[in-house]
Amino acid sequence: MNLNAHIPPGPIEKKWDSHKFNLKLVNPSNRRKYDILVVGSGLAGASAAASLGELGYNVKVFTLHDSPRRAHSIAAQGGINAAKNYPNDGDSVWRLFHDTVKGGDYRAREANVYRLAQISNQIINHCAALGVPFAREYGGLLSNRSFGGAQLSRTFYARGQTGQQLLLGAYSAMMRQAAAGTVELMNRREMVDLVVKNGQARGIVARNLVTGELESHAGHAVLLCTGGYANVFYLSTNAASCNVSAAWAAYKRGAGFANPCFTQIHPTCIPRSGDHQSKLTLMSESLRNDGRVWVPKTRGDKRPANRIPEEERDYFLERRYPAFGNLVPRDIASRAAKMVVDEGKGVGPTGQSVYLDFRDSIKRKGVEKISGEYGNLFDMYYQITDEDGYKTPMRIYPAPHYTMGGLWVDYNLMTTIPGLFALGEANFSDHGANRLGASALMQGLADGFFIAPSTVGGYLGAAKFETVTAGDPEFGAAARAVQERMNRILSIKGKKTPSELHRQLGNVMWNDCGMARSEALLKKALKKIPEIREEFWSDVIVPGADKDFNQTLEKAMKVADFLEFAQLFVKDALERRESCGGHFREESCTAEGEARRDDAAFSHASVWAYAGEGKEAVLHKEPLTFEHIKMAERSYK
Amino acid sequence: MNITFIKRIIFTSIGRKFVMAASGLLLGGFMLFHLAENLLLFKGEVAYNTWVDLLLSNPLLPLLELGLAAVFLAHIAAGTWVRIEDWLKAPSGYEARNWQGGRTIGSATMSYTAFLILVYLAYHMLTFRFVDHSIGFYQMVTSAFRSRLFVAVYVGGAAALVLHLTHGLQSAFQTLGVNHPKYTPFIKAGGWLVAVTMIGFALIPVYYLLNLDLTAATGTYQVTIQ
Amino acid sequence: MNNTKHFNVTIRVWRQEGPEEPGRMMAYKVNDVSPDMSFLEMLDLLNEDLIKKGGKPVTVESDCREGICGSCGLVVNGDVHGPDEHSTVCQLHMRRFKDGDVITVEPWRVKSFPLLKDLAVDRSALDRIMAAGGYISVNTGAAPDANSIPVNKDDAEEAMDSAACIGCGACVAACPNGAAMLFTGAKLSQFALLPQGQPERQRRVLGMLEAMDKEAFGNCSNEYECEAVCPKEVKISNIARLNREFLLANLFGKAEPAATSSHLISTPDVPEDE
Repeated sequence: MNLNAHIPPGPIEKKWDSHKFNLKLVNPSNRRKYDILVVGSGLAGASAAASLGELGYNVKVFTLHDSPRRAHSIAAQGGINAAKNYPNDGDSVWRLFHDTVKGGDYRAREANVYRLAQISNQIINHCAALGVPFAREYGGLLSNRSFGGAQLSRTFYARGQTGQQLLLGAYSAMMRQAAAGTVELMNRREMVDLVVKNGQARGIVARNLVTGELESHAGHAVLLCTGGYANVFYLSTNAASCNVSAAWAAYKRGAGFANPCFTQIHPTCIPRSGDHQSKLTLMSESLRNDGRVWVPKTRGDKRPANRIPEEERDYFLERRYPAFGNLVPRDIASRAAKMVVDEGKGVGPTGQSVYLDFRDSIKRKGVEKISGEYGNLFDMYYQITDEDGYKTPMRIYPAPHYTMGGLWVDYNLMTTIPGLFALGEANFSDHGANRLGASALMQGLADGFFIAPSTVGGYLGAAKFETVTAGDPEFGAAARAVQERMNRILSIKGKKTPSELHRQLGNVMWNDCGMARSEALLKKALKKIPEIREEFWSDVIVPGADKDFNQTLEKAMKVADFLEFAQLFVKDALERRESCGGHFREESCTAEGEARRDDAAFSHASVWAYAGEGKEAVLHKEPLTFEHIKMAERSYK
Repeated sequence: MNITFIKRIIFTSIGRKFVMAASGLLLGGFMLFHLAENLLLFKGEVAYNTWVDLLLSNPLLPLLELGLAAVFLAHIAAGTWVRIEDWLKAPSGYEARNWQGGRTIGSATMSYTAFLILVYLAYHMLTFRFVDHSIGFYQMVTSAFRSRLFVAVYVGGAAALVLHLTHGLQSAFQTLGVNHPKYTPFIKAGGWLVAVTMIGFALIPVYYLLNLDLTAATGTYQVTIQ
Repeated sequence: MNNTKHFNVTIRVWRQEGPEEPGRMMAYKVNDVSPDMSFLEMLDLLNEDLIKKGGKPVTVESDCREGICGSCGLVVNGDVHGPDEHSTVCQLHMRRFKDGDVITVEPWRVKSFPLLKDLAVDRSALDRIMAAGGYISVNTGAAPDANSIPVNKDDAEEAMDSAACIGCGACVAACPNGAAMLFTGAKLSQFALLPQGQPERQRRVLGMLEAMDKEAFGNCSNEYECEAVCPKEVKISNIARLNREFLLANLFGKAEPAATSSHLISTPDVPEDE
């Protein structure tokens, strides 16, 4: 596997500009002759489709939703980072670059991150021009707030709905191109396979989710903007339809999969209430600005929170991290909560949660101030739990939220398959082992609006293409394989529903490969996952037909892929015998239980190559070198 | 000459509503004026007939009548059109659907009250407009108001009118794009006030009917409100 | 809370095999419902049960299950998005119901949203309205510095109120006439309120209205049911603004409608390419 990242030479500040200059161009009048298939319509997909459409390419956008506007980018709450330095608090491209690399625990590629920081400012300009209603100051200029992992205010936001507003902005730009005829929307289509011909990605097979028909679409480049795979844990903050299938299909066709085990577990989610739970709901981490996190000091203390006196409470974040207190980064806060719960001090009916208490800040600031800042979150909490966060402490617990790992891409965002690009959360490049708050939106839009339009054009301008049509045998063969797989699933007629098997997988992943990972647990998981996969292929039940609107079949196909992917995930976690960012190996920690990186052995991206059905994936390494940022231990004590 | 914009103002979904709203407001204004005219009945025969004579002597009256008729027709045409289209396009087949909090009895019954008002109007025209006026207007009106059927139609018609206007007036402002957190509460209150004022159209005939009835029942008692 | 008793309900739900098939209400018992379940989790429970018994699960759409994606949309006991005010049906929880309740579940029954299967409808008509002007025409890379366009804070806030629309279609489903004025008005208002939206303000309103009229949406009769059910509390002042913008664009504007393309979205019913 060739892992040449194609990082342009020259000083880091000049790399992107000089690279753009060196990329081949496609003549404007020739652009409509190129068909580009964009899979996914979230921030990355919609923005890429809009920009490529504006340039004049012939774009098809595939979304499994009924409308492109429903992609899960819409659920992002907090904001989007940019190095504008509008608040005059010392921000710069360099500092954003630095914070992102450090926040990612030095497991991201420097050149990519620098470019991301550079482009961040353009994103804000463009989104403001698109009519995204960002928060404003009275003077009419843009407002900023601070966010975890940064010591200044660089986060732009639109109330608690920044993801929604940015997505609708990108969506509107794309709809403009749809009306102009450069973008064709393929709603309710799910990509089921990638077609590679002559070593190039030349199309996809998609399933029409309403009719069940398999459709072949040929093109000159394929952009996977298919998001993350946190649903491998079954319960996550992701939407129900988030999946790994498209990326997994690409992996099986030869794309390298990088750092699959890098998962972000978000500390402030509403805990699960029972086995019926279908998803977990995130509450903005801004709550930790005023809420104090604690558990009872005594194990199994069943008293109501308000009856537990002050001296019997363990404010464990404040105790362990006096400098940052309740505001430590996400991975650290999550792990700390897990530790106290594992000690048996967890609260709530399941014992799987910790308190987030606003009593003191209400006393200090008054209930009005608190409800003014977080009212919608208190309402949401009440709606879901039936508990009043003003009167009793909220209960929170960490939940899988984002996956930093993804398809390996080079500086051009191209995977190891020529012509196959991966954008946004679907790729691995920018966040290393831990993503900072408000950086996901930035990356999705940087990739889609600004990077891919240049690099995809560069690829199209340089590559040689043979004529490929959807009628070519490669498409037929791919469709037949998918058809066989569906037939097999439908013919099993066993006893377990796809959701049950998914939940089984999720339990294994969460317990054995969740917030704290150890060799013993991971090895256990590696044994358990094939058993569940076995069970799936012998005992799953999926009613109905393939040529139909069949949601159970859709789910089953996703679960089948998760069951294969989970193996790689755990394998990657096992192989990385260090703790970094969201990946915590119990064997690799300091005396106080803090994460310890092993830069000598693991300063690389682990890139896995598919070796064929039933064969072990092969590990390749892209060494990560840090020329501009000094590697140091992250300490928040 | 490009008349697209006129077509759009009249024939698009919003355009039809403009016609309805604008004509509705004009009609509302006319109704207020007409009520004021009729209140002159309480001032007695001389006052009333003097006003009517003055009105009839105006050479522009036929033109005004024609204009009024046109406004009525436009209102009815736009309303019918919108109503038929809505019937065709309305969600259908809900086994159960509750009012969600926006609808009012007035808004939900617009087309029914419209029909009742039309009946009321037709009756009114047939009894007062297209008849022999030789006995004098005051006499004509007050004697008609001694018929129970007549009064029943008027009370029913006025009730329909009140209900129609509780929704119609503020709705017309909304349709014409007048909605502002500062002014809309006043518009809504004003709409209600004007709507309720239309009770006047029922009070006049009831007054005359009660007057007659009480006299007949007791033979001695005279109601003297004047 | 977990110590609360589980209970049983009966779900009467609309079943329809496909767009052209006849449909009917079917009743199912759902046992062991936890009050902490969301309404959709209760339907998951029903579906798991149906699958295991060899039946066909009810097709029902939802995705984020946190009230922002706009995928879900049901009429529950006659209430659009269920009995909770200003919330999506995914945020409805079973503690709202009690043992023995019979709950009627229906899809959006709107002419412009053809029913696909059971409770799933096709809302692409809303996308077509968006494509006819629901955007600001600015190409990537062409924008000036974000702070070169100051925006009055109150206008920005009001634009945000309008932009909060999630495109779920509840306004259409609740409208006695099946009108899409609140949806259209909301997007139009967002841009009408912002300086960035001014250059194509007139062509936008003409285009979006033309696209709206092409679909099978009814007329607005100002009954305000849309405002009453909107999960994001989008106000009917947005409709007034749409009316106003349309009138002014016609009376004083020079613009022609923004372009619309009728075959914008390849319809799910027609297989492509093969």
